[in-house]
Amino acid sequence: MTHEEFESIAALDALGVASGGDVAALRLHLAGCHPCRVARRELGQATSMFAIALAPIPPPAYLRAAVMAEISPESRTNRWWLATAATLFLALWGWRELDVRAGRAEIVRLQQQNSRLSAEIAALASADTRTITLSGQEIAPSASAKVFLQPDRRRALVFFHDLPANPGDTSYQLWIIRAGQPKPASAGIFDVTASGKASIVIENLPVETEIEALAVTLEPRGGVVQPTNTRFYVAGDAGL
Amino acid sequence: MDTTAPVAAALLPAVARGNVSAFEELYDRYASTVYGLLLRILSNADDAQEVLQETFVKAWTSAKMFDSVRGSEVAWLISIARSRGIDRLRSRKVRLEREDEAGREISFLDHSTGADTAIQSEERSAVRRALAELPEAQRVALELAYFEGLSQLEIAARLNEPLGTIKTRMQLGMKKLRERLQAFQ
Repeated sequence: MTHEEFESIAALDALGVASGGDVAALRLHLAGCHPCRVARRELGQATSMFAIALAPIPPPAYLRAAVMAEISPESRTNRWWLATAATLFLALWGWRELDVRAGRAEIVRLQQQNSRLSAEIAALASADTRTITLSGQEIAPSASAKVFLQPDRRRALVFFHDLPANPGDTSYQLWIIRAGQPKPASAGIFDVTASGKASIVIENLPVETEIEALAVTLEPRGGVVQPTNTRFYVAGDAGL
Repeated sequence: MDTTAPVAAALLPAVARGNVSAFEELYDRYASTVYGLLLRILSNADDAQEVLQETFVKAWTSAKMFDSVRGSEVAWLISIARSRGIDRLRSRKVRLEREDEAGREISFLDHSTGADTAIQSEERSAVRRALAELPEAQRVALELAYFEGLSQLEIAARLNEPLGTIKTRMQLGMKKLRERLQAFQ
């Protein structure tokens, strides 16, 4: 693809109407191309002219108070207590469901599992968790994925749907495209069975640089260091 | 683009450090611009107010992600609001209601301003003049993408024009917009 073609995609991306695959390819290109990065920035600034040209309208005064209350430490403390209460409820509920006659080892195992699931639920419900949707591309248009990104824990949970089952000599591989990084980073490999579903947990997520996009390719079994193709199955912009 | 007020020192770095005063100033500086945008996208005050609140809470929690090299503070905030506004528009199927208004003229250039604070009215006027210089067909196509989140295919269907024509219009329009922006700098 030429720089001119990337600039065309950048224009659509700035308007928020570029396809997920194009956005992923663009992010990859921008990481190593300064002129195109400048173009994308200027195009983004240019689209904001539409908003700036509008008549400003003061929002109701109570909204300001609502926003400030939302970000206040007290409010966040309340939310923490709510999350704790919800976790406690789930833990108690899980405990009640246990067969008290079951062996001690089984109880311990279930407690740990319950605790882990509760922590996962609390983490997913956290205000800091970002949700990113990856959409199916040309070779798998009905596929999709949901990413729950927890920057503070450097971790993400990814759930895939309706991906075609991968042949035995291949693996699906998830790639992270980061700002200023010319090469994508592998976030893990996974297999998909006939159910079309899969999930992976990404630990030690590289959050030092902004994640711009995520994409999935089909690679040789066991994964590769760098993607061998740009035929994305699902892809999506991780931007705000 | 220097469309912010001359006094508009960058606030987001302080917001990223948890400075509530800086966040309050950020809100006071841009809430009217963001609310005007959200009302334009959503045509519904309740939705616009909810999304405005989400936008500023997001700005508070994500201020550390702001990179001034990649764009201005106001453009960053606008991009959050616009993205969430379009998501709300799609999720609530507001678009279906708006189909009835498909034939209406899209015009924002003659609105009077009542709350120019952060963005000075002369700067706003300059931006409006720049947009008004775009051929109407290009401007309409870009506005449908920006304010309604329509794809090129959907815009072609809405305007009853060939897809290729819409693609060309949008490319030319964005190119001209970028040139106008460079003229500001």
